[in-house]
Amino acid sequence: MPRAKARANVYEIDGRRPTRVVEPTNEQEVADILRAADAAGDAVVPIGGGTLLGVGNPPRHYEIALSTLRLDSVHVYDHRDLTIGAGAGMTLGHLASLLAKHRQFVPLDAPRAAAATLGGTLAAGWLGPRRATYGRPRDLLIGTTTALADGTLAHAGGMVVKNVSGYDMSRLYVSSLGTLGVITRANLKILPMPAAFRLTVARLPEGTRARAAANVQGLDVEPTAALLIDGFREILPFELGAEGAILLAFEGSAAAIERATRSVRSALGSAGVPETRIIDTGAHQTFARTIDAYVASVAERSVTLRALGLPDGVLKREAAAREGIAPTAALLDTIVDLRCGDLIARVFVDGKLDQLAVRGTLSDAVAALRARLPDATVLARGLALEGDIDAWGTLPPAIDVMRDLKARFDPRATLAPGRFLGGI
Amino acid sequence: MSVLAERLINALGADAVHTEPEDLAVYSFDAYSEDRLPSAAVVPKDVREVTQVVRIAAECGEPIVARGAGTGLCGGAVPTHGGIVVSFARMNRILEIDTRNRRAKVEPGLINLDLSRATARDGLFYAPDPASQKVSSLGGNIATNAGGPHCLSYGTTTNHVVGLEYVDSRGEVVTVHQDDPGYDLAGVLVGSEGTLGIVTSIDVRLTRLPEAVRVCVATFGDVESASEAVSQVIGAGIVPIALEIMDKVITGAVEAAFKAGYPQDAGAVLLVEIAGLADDMDASEAAIAKVVRACGALSWRAARSQAERDLLWAARKGAAGAIGRLAPNYYIQDCVVPRTKLPVVMRKVEEIVRDHQLQVGNVFHAGDGNLHPLLLFDRSRPRDIQAVIEAGSQILQTCIDHGGTISGEHGIGYEKRESLGLLFSADDLATMGRVRDVFDPARRFNPDKIFPSSASCNEVRAAS
Repeated sequence: MPRAKARANVYEIDGRRPTRVVEPTNEQEVADILRAADAAGDAVVPIGGGTLLGVGNPPRHYEIALSTLRLDSVHVYDHRDLTIGAGAGMTLGHLASLLAKHRQFVPLDAPRAAAATLGGTLAAGWLGPRRATYGRPRDLLIGTTTALADGTLAHAGGMVVKNVSGYDMSRLYVSSLGTLGVITRANLKILPMPAAFRLTVARLPEGTRARAAANVQGLDVEPTAALLIDGFREILPFELGAEGAILLAFEGSAAAIERATRSVRSALGSAGVPETRIIDTGAHQTFARTIDAYVASVAERSVTLRALGLPDGVLKREAAAREGIAPTAALLDTIVDLRCGDLIARVFVDGKLDQLAVRGTLSDAVAALRARLPDATVLARGLALEGDIDAWGTLPPAIDVMRDLKARFDPRATLAPGRFLGGI
Repeated sequence: MSVLAERLINALGADAVHTEPEDLAVYSFDAYSEDRLPSAAVVPKDVREVTQVVRIAAECGEPIVARGAGTGLCGGAVPTHGGIVVSFARMNRILEIDTRNRRAKVEPGLINLDLSRATARDGLFYAPDPASQKVSSLGGNIATNAGGPHCLSYGTTTNHVVGLEYVDSRGEVVTVHQDDPGYDLAGVLVGSEGTLGIVTSIDVRLTRLPEAVRVCVATFGDVESASEAVSQVIGAGIVPIALEIMDKVITGAVEAAFKAGYPQDAGAVLLVEIAGLADDMDASEAAIAKVVRACGALSWRAARSQAERDLLWAARKGAAGAIGRLAPNYYIQDCVVPRTKLPVVMRKVEEIVRDHQLQVGNVFHAGDGNLHPLLLFDRSRPRDIQAVIEAGSQILQTCIDHGGTISGEHGIGYEKRESLGLLFSADDLATMGRVRDVFDPARRFNPDKIFPSSASCNEVRAAS
């Protein structure tokens, strides 16, 4: 089978390079590679577009990088069924352009969509800000083919939108970071594209943030995404105020969007926000850049973390995080997702500290953040973790069940060993 | 008194334990045709009592079958292997409603519709709405990953469960939540039909009630053309909240029972519900009506009042009950095909039924491709029983042949377990068996369900 040559640095994780890189062209090849690696005791890390390699700890050992990029064909697509079955290596950009021909889309808002793959996005458990409206990636997934460590090709689900035939195994592979198997094919529900898409952006003057957030949560027309953004100035195509900016995405009919815009102006106006900017032309590009800001803006001296929670506590949490970080030399960018209740925080060191001091400062900053948000997990980082910062926060109560599942699916720990939480 | 009964009574009190055959009869069946008396039935009042039951069962080597309201159609709650039935009749409380975050925590015995009733004043509802929602329990809904007419837009049960507490095979309490990092254990527990653990509390997502709702009825000459219209509506990029079809047999029965105003002269009725902003209702209705008319609809009208809408839905959800007027018995099939295959599959279903000299009524979630042929028969005629069994399995095979599946919302249970092997390879089933090995290595939770009998001891366990 084809093997990539000297591109190993693409597959580098925390400064570690694989002994070899394989690029299987079909599902059976994936299964064969895994069976052989399992027998030989070689660790395999499945890699798609490499856009979310910052999720998870470095592998305990790393012999084979398994690229899924050549598994990029469409298996089933009749647009009238509103479903598609595609190879795991298909990029989200390619998928979006295929679907756009029939005015359809799949709401997987991953960063760097042109490079991110379907399988990688699912395996990394990426959560986008439109999920309160459209569901989590797991809710879009109706079937999978997965290669297991022993070379079994396992099918689950199918090509229909309702299915209770056997266990919903696909759920187990989403956000498993490739530690239970390598997703080789994913079947998804897709959606008709809404008639219109609009972003509204407002700069938040001092003292308006909390009220603006509260008013937005009471809107009669719900935004599909609602983000409070503070920082990330070098990436975002709009200006921030003293307390950042609020960005709202609306999708639906033209009439619905006009009404939403009137409501937003009124809601923000009464919170003391003087001006709301409407972005219609280029709204999709602006939205994509905002999503990229979550992760893709990995600065050299930074770590980006995500903490999940509920909208109730999120503003307080964010303020607490700021307090926690303040005594250190680190700076903080944040995105608070008002609909889904998560906080994305990037801590970075701005200055001329040497490498050792950078590591120490970031490590302290992450520890301070985790003191307030124990479940915060690393999404991206501009430096190797090297054990001083764990990628995962608090272990979940069901960690023992997860360990048992790993032992049952991958008893020799062939798949991405140590990348997942609790040493899985 | 048996050792088992004694231990259960010691743990739960005599009023929570049944061991007499006349009391156990109630726990011996669900809405499927099999029945089997358990050794004991218990009605625990809290999670602590459930853990005690599981431990006692383990020590006495007894299987355990969790039971919701007993409305399951595939024998999922039948104690086919005897053992202990755990009823959730006393664990039916709403523990918490968090309107701001649109979440509720409930016990598994809660009746589905009671949750929406309790949250309606806050402008919220629980979206999954099986036809049995007035009587079925949330715990049972979770076991089968229940669907319903509004799944087309809102998704099935699994899309609305955000966390679970369950008692594992050792009698330990485990909590899982979608916001926890790690494997999606709640995702695999939903739809596992009580084979992985006993769910004792459920965190669900609540949905905002739509600002406006409109229900429309279109008529067609036959089921095929109505099915084609459904495909065309979806293909045109319109996803209503519900798209349901009833054929002439069904509308005749529901009209006799409900007098909801469904036309009696049409070959098929298409029920369409749209919901959203008031500003969009007229345009949405017009867009759908245009497609439907182009597909040969004979008529189209919108319900004029809330009362009329409610009645149309009550009749639709009461269809299976109303069919009792037409034949002494009926068998309801539940299978799914890709939406575009509906017309051809519906034609095949007609042929299969005709070949077996049976009568069929069709009422189904057309928007999801989820068929429900109701085969009418008379249990006292052995010929009928054989014909229903054969026709039922041919319909399943037809769905599989057209890229479909053998259950959309009722589950596999005891009824379809031998058919699961038609859909999945031994490897696929063995992979599911690995999950079972982790959760329930002794196969004590709801044995005989989901997996083919040939696979239950060998392939499904031969995971390592």
